[in-house]
Order: sequence, then C-alpha cells, then structure tokens
Amino acid sequence: VTPPRRGEYEVVIVGAGVIGLYTAYHLARAGVQRILVVDRGFLSNGASGRNGGGIRQQWETQATLRLARESVAAYRRFGRDLGYNVWFRQGGYLFLAATETELARLREVHRMVRSEGLPAEELSPERIHDRVPALSLDQVVGGTFLHSDGTLYPFPAVWGLYEAVGSLGVEVTLGVEATGAERDASGVTAITTTAGRLATHWIVNAAGGWSSDLARRVGLEPANVASRHEILATEPLKPFLDPMIVRAGDGLYFSQTMRGEIVGGLTIAHPPGTGAGMPSSPAFLRSMARALVGLVPRLAPVGVLRAWSGFYDDTPDGLPIIGEGSGLPRFVQANGFGGHGLMLAPAATRRVAQVVLGQKSDLDPALFGPDRFRDAGRTATIERLQLG
Amino acid sequence: MERPPPVKVRFRGRIRTADPNEPLSHVLGKGPFSILQRSIRYHRPRAPFCGVGYCTQCLVRVNDAPNVRSCRYLPKEGDVIETENAWPRPGFDLLGALDWIFPKGIDTVHGFRRPVFLTPLYHRVVRRLAGYGELPRHPPERPPSSVGPPTPTDVLVVGAGRAGRAAAERLEEHGVSTIVIERERAALPLASLRAVHVGTTAVFLSRRSAGERSSFGAIVVPEGRPALAIIARAVILSPGGYDASLFFAGNDRPGVVVADQAERAGPVAGPRPFRRALLFGGGPRAAEMLRRFGESVEAVASFGSIDPEVTLRASELGIPLYPRTILLRADGRARVRSVRLRSRGGETTFSLSVDAVVLAHRRLPNAQLFFQLGARMHWEPSIGHYLPDLSDTLETTVPGLFAAGEAAGFPPDGTAAESGTAAANAAAGRPGAPAPPRPPSRSVRAHELEAYYREFLRFRPSWSKCIVCPCEDVLMDEVEEAHRLGYRGIEVIKRFTGAGTGLCQGRYCIPDALLLLALLEGRPANEVGYITQRPPVVPTPLSALAALPEEVGT
Repeated sequence: VTPPRRGEYEVVIVGAGVIGLYTAYHLARAGVQRILVVDRGFLSNGASGRNGGGIRQQWETQATLRLARESVAAYRRFGRDLGYNVWFRQGGYLFLAATETELARLREVHRMVRSEGLPAEELSPERIHDRVPALSLDQVVGGTFLHSDGTLYPFPAVWGLYEAVGSLGVEVTLGVEATGAERDASGVTAITTTAGRLATHWIVNAAGGWSSDLARRVGLEPANVASRHEILATEPLKPFLDPMIVRAGDGLYFSQTMRGEIVGGLTIAHPPGTGAGMPSSPAFLRSMARALVGLVPRLAPVGVLRAWSGFYDDTPDGLPIIGEGSGLPRFVQANGFGGHGLMLAPAATRRVAQVVLGQKSDLDPALFGPDRFRDAGRTATIERLQLG
Repeated sequence: MERPPPVKVRFRGRIRTADPNEPLSHVLGKGPFSILQRSIRYHRPRAPFCGVGYCTQCLVRVNDAPNVRSCRYLPKEGDVIETENAWPRPGFDLLGALDWIFPKGIDTVHGFRRPVFLTPLYHRVVRRLAGYGELPRHPPERPPSSVGPPTPTDVLVVGAGRAGRAAAERLEEHGVSTIVIERERAALPLASLRAVHVGTTAVFLSRRSAGERSSFGAIVVPEGRPALAIIARAVILSPGGYDASLFFAGNDRPGVVVADQAERAGPVAGPRPFRRALLFGGGPRAAEMLRRFGESVEAVASFGSIDPEVTLRASELGIPLYPRTILLRADGRARVRSVRLRSRGGETTFSLSVDAVVLAHRRLPNAQLFFQLGARMHWEPSIGHYLPDLSDTLETTVPGLFAAGEAAGFPPDGTAAESGTAAANAAAGRPGAPAPPRPPSRSVRAHELEAYYREFLRFRPSWSKCIVCPCEDVLMDEVEEAHRLGYRGIEVIKRFTGAGTGLCQGRYCIPDALLLLALLEGRPANEVGYITQRPPVVPTPLSALAALPEEVGT
C-alpha cells in the first residue's frame, strides 16, 4: 500500500471500479486538480471485475435507456479514446419469455425501446431458432432482440481508465478503506481512511456493493443494499452464440465471450449485505447447470471452469442513486446500479462529475437523486427490467 | 488378472485397436508423446504434458463431446475420436503460421483498436481463433438424470495415497463410517477399504451449519458419470501433490513433460516413447525417475545442487550431471530435439541432443481445497508454495477439517502414512500416537528458484516464446509488460494477462509466476499473494452438476 501523497484534496472518490475511475476521468478532463481515488481491495476486485460484461439499451425507463444509449456510443470509442481494447462486440441482447405474461412485459419495454428510435425486434420462436439454433424452444413463447446491444470484456475497461486517470494526474491508492467523514455546517470537510484523515471538499461514494456501508459510516440512512450474485464460466468453445441471452422468468443470462467461454449467472437468494464475503455456493452451481442444460441441451458435456460471486448494489426502485443528498452536502452518491454499473458507467459518471463541477445536469433528481426515497408519498417510477 | 480384450475405436476416421485399461492418449497418434492438438492463440503443436488430467495439452473430441482429456479417458468399443483446433490436422496445421508471424505474441489488450470500422472483422477473426472444441452437434440422448439425496458419512477422506489409505484403514478400525474419494483409477491397492470411489474427484467442498453442529458438503464427480453429494461431519484432505512446470523458452514443445506424465507413459509401461531424455531435477523425485527409466536418460541437470542419491545412480549408469544449470530453451518443432543449457554463474552455454525433457525438480501440494474452505495457509519456503496451518492433531483452522500427506507437508517417502493415521485418530476423536513433525522439504528452496529465474531472465533467448500459461498461451513477455505498466500482485496480473484462467486452474503457471513476480516486484512471494481458488477444482461437466440433489447445500 502506497499512502496518499497529500493531506488535502479537492475530491476523494471511494471505489476504483469503473464508476469511480470514470468519474475521476471526467473530473480530471474538466480540469479538476488534486483528485484521489481510494479502494479497499486490488484493482478489479469488486463488481467491475466480476460481471458478465453485458451492455444493453433495452430499458423500461426512458432516462435509463438514454444513459445506456450514450454509454454504448462511449464504449464503441473506448479503444480509440483510452488505448485499451474492451472488445465491445455488438451481438445483440435476446430476451426470452416463457409465458404470455412475461411476453406482455417484454412488449411494454419493447414499445419504449422502439419509441426511442432503436430498431428492436420482436421475435417469434421460429425467428429465435434462426438466430440461435442451439437454443431449446420447449419453454419459449417469444422474445425481443436489439442488435446494437452487446458484451464487452470488463477488465480492459478498468485498466484503460486506471492508466488514463493516472496520466491526467489523478492519484489512485489501493488497499485503503474509507472509514467515515468529517463535516461542518456547509458539508464534507474531510474523509477518514485506514491511511489516515484526508481533508477534502468533495467525497464521491462509488464503492459499489460497499457503498451503503460507507453511507452508514458517514451517518446517512442508505436505501440501497448489497446482494450477492454468482456467475460461472465454462471451458472455451468455438463461437456458436452471438447475442447475450436473458430469460425474463428467472433472470438466467449468459453469453459467449471473445475467448469462447460461456459466462452467465442466475439469481439465487442470499442474505443481504457484504458481511459473508464473496464465496460460491453449491446451490448456484446446481441451479445454473440445470438452467443452462435445459435451455441449451447441447452444452451438457461441456465443463464448468470456474464460478465466482460479486455484489449487486440494489435500490428499491431499480434505478441508480446519482447526486448530492440533503443529509450531507458535498457527499455525492454514485451507486445503486443494481448490477448495471459497467453498462451505464460512461454516461452516468458524466452526471456525477457535473454535480461536483456545479454544472446543470439533465438527470431528474426525482428519479435518480438520493433524497427520492425520503418522500414516502411519491409515485415511484420503477425499473422492472432488472435482469441481465 | 486376465487382460480384457482390446477395443476398436475410430480416430480421425481410421480404426485403431486399444487396450481398454490404457489411457486414450497413449494409443492416439504415434504413442504418448504425439501431437494431439494446437494451442489456443498461436496454434503451437502440443502433446500430453501432465498425464494427470490437469493441463490442456491432450484434449480431443470423444463421441461428440468436446475438450475430453485423453490422458484420463479409457477407450470403449466404438468410440469416435476427433481432433480439435487444428486444420487439416494437429501434426500439420495451417494456422500454425500465426506462431511464426507473431514471434513476440499478439497483443489483444492494446491491439485491434484501429481503424474502428474494422472492429466487426477483428471480432469475427479473433473469436474464430479462440476456443478449443466445437459445441456438440447433437443434444444428449437422455436428459441429465438426477441422483439421490446426499450420502451422509462421518468422515470423508479425499485422496487415497499413502496418507489417505492409512487414514481410511484407521477409521475403519475405529468403526467410524468413512467414504474415500480417489482421483486415480489405479492407485494403491484399496481392496480392503469398504466405501471407496476411484476415478472420482472432489470438485467443491463447502461448510454447512445446521444448528449447533457444522458439517461439510462435498460435490464429487466420478469420471463420465453424474456428480454425487456427500455430507460429512469431518473431512481429511490428503490429495497429494503434483510435479511443477518450469519456465524456459519452448517449454511447451511436444516431449517436454512433468515427471507425473513420464511416470505414466514412461519406458517401463510400454513401447519406449523416449530414449534420450534430459532429466531436470536433483532431489528425491529425480532419483525416482532415474530408478524407473535411467536407461533412457541422456543427462541430469538441476537448478541447484544434486543429491548424492541421484549422483550415485547416475554415475552407475554413466549419465553426465549438470548441477546449478539453467535450462534456457528447448528446440524442435514436432518434438524436442535439443536443449540449450547454461551453467549458473559461469560462462559456458552448451547444447544437448535429447528427445524429451522430464521435469522432476519440484513437487507442489494440491492446496486448492484448503483454500476453497478458507483454511489459514502459510508460505513454506522449502517448497515455494502454501501449506495449511495445522494443530498438533493435524486439524486446520477450520474445525473438523484435517490434513495429511504430501498436501499437508508430509513427504510421500517419509511420514505421510503416519500423518494419515494421526489425522484419522483425531477425526474419530480417539487418542493415538502423536502426529509426526513436518520436516522441511528437500526438493526445492523457493529463494533458490527465484535466484535461478533472475539469471534466466538475463540469458533467455529473445526470439523463442517462453510460455508462462500454456492453457491461454500467455508469454513471459506479457507478464513483464504488465509489471512494467504498473500492475502489481498475482490477482491483478492474472486478470491482466489471463495467466491462470485456463483449464488447469493455474496449477502449472501460478506457482512459478509467484516467484517471477516476487523477483520483479522486489518483495517476498507470499506478499505477491495467491489467486482465489474458485470451484470446481477441475472442469466439471454441466450435466454432472445438473444432476445434483437440491439438498446439496447453500
């Protein structure tokens, strides 16, 4: 652990994942000096290095859809702008419905996607078979597909941002945990960490699964909660699967990476919070294996190479938390992405940076602001397409 | 015992007869050292390397199932065997040109970014190159069956080598219900044991707590059959060890093998697959190899000193000895033809004409399951790897989890059996003779191997690929480049380079990569860390896992 070089910063960002690093990148490019990023683990130890790499624009809420759409454009440019190839392959996202009810729900999303001008298609089982012949259509009544969605390789996104912020003069200190904040009447004055107290004007909470822990440590009552999700990867096979497949009913999702591995997950209920760490469970291996073999019977003899888990940072309404709350001024939330941090990072973090820079943001605080959960009487917009 | 009649298999369209008790890799091609496939990135020719079902170098397609390890597969009548990832055939593969076109490797981290409009083309080409086998053409005839509920037992013994067998026998004497799992099919005679599953691997162990009592849940996979779930009150882990790889240029050439593979395919077993081997190593394992097939050894070289036991046997056979010697590179395309050596601290570089390189310089403990269960581990410099912390009764820091044998630091030719008995007494809750002390290993001292690599880095040839991770074709240059860019620690280097993410689960790259990184980062190897041991311990078919009962545990 290299301790932070200074005692005083303009902005301290907690979390060196894609959200934290992308925020640092936008801020540094806007000319902000003295930015520090701290992280409790090693680079890519959190969800940024543990996700399935899915990038989709098929969302039910218009605002999220627009963030996703902007992010897709950013990832297409990532290699040129940041020097690292994230292998963003636009093979599409195929949502599958097993019942008419599920299909009706997918259609609602589909209408929103179409109304935004994206050429999404509704597919009959026959058309689904044409796209992915390996799928068993026993329990598929239909689906929706958008060709410009896709998958990328998450690690190079972290490396590219890490090096870019470094060359812009941002300090990144790994192995340092944020323990709390100091404040005066105007808001944040310092952050306390395992490497000591650091004076700062702004704190950005981009700690992913650990961000509600941090919010509590600074005296806030967070609405988000960490939930553990598991993933597995199979042995590498020659390419046979172009799109990311998501099943609406149980949240099964999987895609084939550039390396040929089938990578995917399935939701298994685990106790909430970060306390139990990130182990894998036999129950997940069993359920995931059954689901995969059920949907792609030809995968039966293929070996599972490894399984791992990580944290989703879930909010009650399925929308991320972006902005400064009234509870603690200059403490900016950039979390609650519910497993979609990488997917929304380039666009969402531009809005986070706007908060720090005092610029006007196009994000509706009623949808994304931290204070939205305080108003018990509000009519909440809820993003229901939280899978995949 | 009567020999079973030979079976007929079809290999690349031709009928072959095979001994049904002999691993498939021994009968394909021209014997155990034949090229069976091409590597994943550079299409380098590859022949069986480890012989124990860990590495990626003997994969074939058997009856439509991809990526079958032919060193573990016993042929059955009518099997159809095809080769993978090579066109037209593994011996002559057109894509092998990639290896010549990219002598310094392909940079997929920074490369293929421009021009942007070519992105879809890059994706198509690179995807096509990736992966080993094709998806099966047909779904299985029967959907995966379910197995019954978990089998309860008092004690589960993982590994039936000297230690595990001694433990199982003692547990039976105590009348404790015991299940024994053994990965090898033909290990020591196990007839006296009651519940023993051979050819079976424990792929995932987890702790379960139900009320006050805690227990262990185990997923065990018999080769080619559905997985089984076992619930045990206590577990004795005695999974033994394996022979380590070594970094040198051309270390993936056909004919370069670890002692485990030489032992299984060596001259004693059948027709001689090699006649002039370089035996690398100077400790007990090298002595064992000399005893087995000294007649086929051309020279003995070691990174350090050579034990008197080896010296004596070698001088009887008239084999030259090269202590304190760097193995710089192995040359030869379809088969190793020669090796280039350099005396450490000296000026002389010389070549030897050989037809195999047998690596017997270092045994490593199978530590995966200890890590998986969260037992506290410590760095043991004398083996250059991690061993579990143990109490006087050989209990790990996980209550109810005991360790014995080579994986616990008791040498197979020494106190392994004693340690098994002591662990069994403790697991059964009966007093017995105290556990033997763990002697320091004679095989290797980590700092000496680190110093060896320091010299290797100075003299290694720049034009011949030194493969750190053969499963993913990761070059030593890539590890050094990641270090140069500022990435530190084995977990980050693993993610940056891909080393350790292949089918061997890091067994043949991570141990030496730790020493290399210790050298580059200028800190002790244990501070470089260790990779998280993710389940399953070996790749496990989806159909096997799908068959598990619901009570398998959370």
